[in-house]
Amino acid sequence: MSSPLLVIEHLRVDFPEVVAVNDMSLTVCSGDVCGLIGPNGAGKTTTMRAISGLQESTRGSVKVDGHDFTREPGELKKCLGFMPDFCPVYEQLTASEFLDHFARAYDVKDRARRIGQCLELTWLTEKRDALCEELSRGMKQRLVLAKTLLPDPEVLLLDEPASGLDPLGRIELRKILLQLRDLGKAVLISSHILTELSGFCNTAAIMERGRLIKYGNIAELGQKTGRRRVSLKWRTDGDKALEILKSANVNNLETAASGVTFDFDGNTEAIDELLKSLVTQGIRVSEWRDLSDDLEQIFLQSGAKELM
Amino acid sequence: MSLNQNPIFLTQKRLVHRSGVLAAILIAALIGLSLLSGLIAYLADPRGFDFRSPQEAGKMFYGWVIGVEILVLVIGGFSRISSTLANERKAGLWDSNRLTPLKPLDLVSGYWFGSPLREFYMGVVLAVIGLVIVLLGRLSFTFWLETQILVASTALFFGLLGVLMGLTFTRPQGLLILLVIFIVYPFSFIAPSRMLFNFFLPIYGIAHLFQDSVDPDDDWNRTPELFGLHLDPVLLSISLQLIIGIFLWRAAGRKTSNPFQSPLLRREAVVLFGILVFIQHGLLWGLWRGQFPILVHSQNKFYDSESMLPMVQGGTMLLGLVVLAFASPQPERVRVESLRLGFKNLGAIFPRSAVWLALVLTTVAAVALLMQCFLSIAYTWKAYVAAAGNLLEFFLIISFLLEYCRLRFRRRALGFMALWLFVLCILPFILGGVFTTSALGDMSLLSPGIKALAEQFTNNTPGPHGLDLHVADENVLLGMVGAHFCIAFLCFLLWRREWMRLLSKTSSAAPAQ
Repeated sequence: MSSPLLVIEHLRVDFPEVVAVNDMSLTVCSGDVCGLIGPNGAGKTTTMRAISGLQESTRGSVKVDGHDFTREPGELKKCLGFMPDFCPVYEQLTASEFLDHFARAYDVKDRARRIGQCLELTWLTEKRDALCEELSRGMKQRLVLAKTLLPDPEVLLLDEPASGLDPLGRIELRKILLQLRDLGKAVLISSHILTELSGFCNTAAIMERGRLIKYGNIAELGQKTGRRRVSLKWRTDGDKALEILKSANVNNLETAASGVTFDFDGNTEAIDELLKSLVTQGIRVSEWRDLSDDLEQIFLQSGAKELM
Repeated sequence: MSLNQNPIFLTQKRLVHRSGVLAAILIAALIGLSLLSGLIAYLADPRGFDFRSPQEAGKMFYGWVIGVEILVLVIGGFSRISSTLANERKAGLWDSNRLTPLKPLDLVSGYWFGSPLREFYMGVVLAVIGLVIVLLGRLSFTFWLETQILVASTALFFGLLGVLMGLTFTRPQGLLILLVIFIVYPFSFIAPSRMLFNFFLPIYGIAHLFQDSVDPDDDWNRTPELFGLHLDPVLLSISLQLIIGIFLWRAAGRKTSNPFQSPLLRREAVVLFGILVFIQHGLLWGLWRGQFPILVHSQNKFYDSESMLPMVQGGTMLLGLVVLAFASPQPERVRVESLRLGFKNLGAIFPRSAVWLALVLTTVAAVALLMQCFLSIAYTWKAYVAAAGNLLEFFLIISFLLEYCRLRFRRRALGFMALWLFVLCILPFILGGVFTTSALGDMSLLSPGIKALAEQFTNNTPGPHGLDLHVADENVLLGMVGAHFCIAFLCFLLWRREWMRLLSKTSSAAPAQ
């Protein structure tokens, strides 16, 4: 069983007019990539800042790899990597000098080799001698990611890491995250663009107005609702397919080109039966997808509003 | 961690070198060499100059070097450090550095010594040229060494102040120091050896070293006294800077480890305030030796001793204001603490608020003031009560208004606080000037204590030893002290209302335990 690396208990953060994070408890284990989901202003960034110690919490505790911030700040900082949602870089330093600064600060052994590794991992090897001011926003984002990975932390907090990346960069980021997951790191990653997180998050925490309204394994979260969202695409006989679906009492039917999405109340056997009846009545099905473990669906069904 | 291993220092060094240091060094060299060439020209042919000796010429040219050094190292260094820190905080780099396992004081020392490196290089060039000037001018090496130590220690002291300013304010505060020096500088000439700020700036120490006069009445020529004990001015300056520097160093470390904390712990603020107030009174002690207003020393021809205590009273108020602003916790922090600890009434707020601090500061200042008049208290007690009462009402009003403005106006608190201070302290003087009546000026919050100490408010009792004392209108003074306490009470009501409002909001926001 994987060990808990990040344990948050009853965390509360107050701002003058608002409770930014309210009674939040969350555990991220080794090998978990936890998606922290919520609309703008839900408290995702504040949660991450509170975990890292940049934001003072009103109450609650945070333990990173067993280290408490109030008792062992130095130890905690060594095993925590935080990548903010913007790119703080020294514009007048080169990429490798920037990493060298943080390698010294984290007392990284064999600095030159580790800097080379991190630059390679973030595809910045060719830019190692370029000044940070010459890098594009996406490159700076990758450089900050490289800085975050530099001390090889056990727990990673990534706040909107893909916001400045191009499509290729996002794909590569996904690869890095999967690699980190395989290495047994605990990753807490926030985003309000849910498609960014799909595919590599195995747990999700949904926040709204400072509260954690849903948290758990993605597959379990999808099934907890009881209602399934299904995507169907066909090659022929769309009208006939719609008739069959209507007679099967599906809800929230949304039609699209050569397909529909709909809600279906029923267990696995019932949904299998529906597919079987479509096929036996001659509908040529090109796609049949259960969206229950889709983050977007989980989020929509969670009751959180104002998704941006 | 040594500076050579400190990543903050190394990065700042790299950044300074990358943006270029040669031009700055050449400018410093050109200024220094110009002054050196002036001295060489005098030594080669003294006829075209008004100097009486090579020493006098050397001092004049070296004085200019020192002036430029102070400008570069103290003002330039301060503004460089504070702007670097403010900019890095704005860019998020400060937080990135705070997230590393570096100790807070390593971060502080990295910026303290790293960001003003260009200014340090310029200072070294000027110091070397200054040494040549001193040697050519047949002045002693110790003279050069003492002045350089004073300049260096002042640069480090203000550098630390710059760190704290950069950590506290979001905008660079370079102009602030110029403003403070501009305001303070004229006062430094009123009583050079008896004014505290002449020692940590350190105007007196340098001027004393440059002094040619042998006149024992010349205040620049005497050694300062602390409670009657003669002290070396250079040593006094360095000791003062060191003592205050320790507080600043601790404050900077604290602010680095937790930016939400007040930079000064309240006990530190009280100790710092006490040290400064007592040293200031110690410097004045020799004038009256506890028998204010009877002068023990003969009247000095260079200054009017009657203005000394009022100036110190004003300075104490200003210092108290600064201490209250920096050492009192933000109401938001008290509110968070109330949520954390679960207290819901004003009784628990009081010891955490600025009001408690105001009472302690008043006690400290009142005891220090009492030292000047404890042997003559029998006939000066009314003056003393007016001055001490004025301190109490001033600090109370400031603490009430400070928290009221912070609670009520939040980000705009500073502006509203300045408005209140202007209305209560400055406006009556302006109106008094406009309508040419001193009665309006007496309404100022600053007025009663200053007037009582200036005019030696003695209840119409003739002074002993045949002193010709001015007699103030005691009814007006006492009336004003009373009226100010009424203002303090109104401020208390405003303060109380805002706290009650916040506490009721806090108790409704707190989740069930």
